Amino acid sequence: MSEKPFFVGYLPAPGPLRMFLLAACVLLIAGLGTAGYLMGAAQDDPGPGAFRFDYGRQTVTGVIEMTPYPVLHVVEGNDRIMPGDSFMMTAAGKSGVDSRAMPLNGQLAQVSGIVLERGDLYMMQLRGGRNGLRAAEGDVPEIPTEPQGRWQLSGEICDGKCLAGAMRPGRGLAHKACANLCLLGDVPPIFVSTQPVLGSEFLLITGPGGTRLPRAAYDYVAQFITAEGEITKRGDLLVWEIDTDTIEVTE
Amino acid sequence: MDVAQALVMGMQTWGIVGALVAAVFLTIGIDRIDEDARGAYAFRPLLIPAVLLIWPIILWRWWQIESERAAWAARYRAVRAPYGLAVCLMSIGIVVIVFTGLSVRQTWPAGIAPVQLTKGASQ
Repeated sequence: MSEKPFFVGYLPAPGPLRMFLLAACVLLIAGLGTAGYLMGAAQDDPGPGAFRFDYGRQTVTGVIEMTPYPVLHVVEGNDRIMPGDSFMMTAAGKSGVDSRAMPLNGQLAQVSGIVLERGDLYMMQLRGGRNGLRAAEGDVPEIPTEPQGRWQLSGEICDGKCLAGAMRPGRGLAHKACANLCLLGDVPPIFVSTQPVLGSEFLLITGPGGTRLPRAAYDYVAQFITAEGEITKRGDLLVWEIDTDTIEVTE
Repeated sequence: MDVAQALVMGMQTWGIVGALVAAVFLTIGIDRIDEDARGAYAFRPLLIPAVLLIWPIILWRWWQIESERAAWAARYRAVRAPYGLAVCLMSIGIVVIVFTGLSVRQTWPAGIAPVQLTKGASQ
């Protein structure tokens, strides 16, 4: 009969196996813990973006502009959102508010929702239906549009909602699939510049001539790229018309 | 075709072949090589996911048993010897994939400054 020690669950472990089992347990626990720590430590800082439920529901009035992504230029603000601000809007989940905003393009509208904020960037997740977006009475001021020339920028294409705080991380390769789904759902795309451009490191991106972001650019979402395009300041917001033919992935 | 498309196409092809193998093996093959399975059908759909994944092993075992190349007792013995090698390779593979992924990922090009190529009409 073999003298090889044999472990039976309901009996004490045989002497020769005890050290092996102890070492295996310690190595397994320590190894998994170390691997988890190293992988966590290797990740980029997700940043400070978040839903600002602590601000409460925000309601402001402004002019809707389809850039072609809907932007609100605030006319009547509140204690947090000032007149003259311009911000992007989104619906709940991975969807935009294009269909609701389009009939109000160029008109005064009242919007209501929760703010997502990441540093200087903020956008609003609107309430459903007319509670979130409806026409308002009043004079429509002219919104200044200031061409800022052609620029070469480096950075990353993200979806505005996750970047602003709907997800953590809201950018980077780990978030690429989510970002593309958001963009397909009409969430406004944002370019994060390596360094501030005309005072802002976040720019709304469109295609050339004020078209939607071309599908060719979706392949470069979440990668670090360099590209060229015209920048226009619309109200308080920089809009970059990216030229997809000039996109290059950085080293 | 880029890498992502090639990966998706490879997985689709693997799955389609696996589905064909599952269809043939679970309706014909299993009756031919396992007399205990004859007349038993409820469990067969449960095997479909596994067949989709490991259909080459299914085909190999089927051929071994059908052609009686394997020893009589071999059909009742799990293929244990290669398992250890597979476990080691997969463990090493996971570590290699993680470290390769971390090492080849891009670094944020913080040093590249915005460049204005032309002035705007409002400047």
